[in-house]
Amino acid sequence: MGQNQAAHASSDDVSGEEEFDPIGTLTLIAIYFVILLLAWVYIYYIEFLGRDLVVVG
Amino acid sequence: MHIHAYEKLWLAASILLILLLIGSVTYGAVGPGVAMVSDSEPPIDAQALDEDDRFSEPRVEQVGDNEYVAYVVAYQFGFEPSPIVVPENSTVTFYVTSRDVIHGFEVAGTNANTMVVPGEVSKITVKTDDRQEYGLICNEYCGAGHHVMEGKVNVVSQAEFDERNSGGDDA
Ligand SMILES: [Cu+2]
Repeated sequence: MGQNQAAHASSDDVSGEEEFDPIGTLTLIAIYFVILLLAWVYIYYIEFLGRDLVVVG
Repeated sequence: MHIHAYEKLWLAASILLILLLIGSVTYGAVGPGVAMVSDSEPPIDAQALDEDDRFSEPRVEQVGDNEYVAYVVAYQFGFEPSPIVVPENSTVTFYVTSRDVIHGFEVAGTNANTMVVPGEVSKITVKTDDRQEYGLICNEYCGAGHHVMEGKVNVVSQAEFDERNSGGDDA
């Protein structure tokens, strides 16, 4: 998470167009994604399906 | 067109998420059999519930092998019958209607929850687990006594249920 875009600008000439590597943003989004997955599993499978009197019709 | 590697990653993750959501809902419908509150019941006359064979006498009835129906009337400010007594480990279908204004029918802390609209019959079928007493609350503001509008759904043992019903009407 310590890197920023400015530090990357010059060091990344191998892959031409991909000199822009917002690794911090990617990490942040990955964390959000994991939170989203865990929240969904918890809310649907544990909270919702785990409660009594599941509506079946 | 060039797509950044991170974009591809994000696209893949998004698609995975969508598949997971659809998969979960499908699993819920196929596995535990989760369903929606039915809107298939025909409308009834809310002013004439006392002439209706289901709601003139709100009650719980056995209709099949381990299958029960509960006819429930919500009113300002309560539910009938009170308490609603059903046996454990059975399938119970609630038919709920109102004789005055819009109410809610929420068995507290469970998934059994529906609106109750005068002139309409809300039908939900649930599976009961072990014996337990649940609170029953109205979750639609229905007037000055809304906050005191409550009932009970008591899931009792089969023996206790049979005893209650042979000993006379508990409604
Ligand atoms: Cu109410």
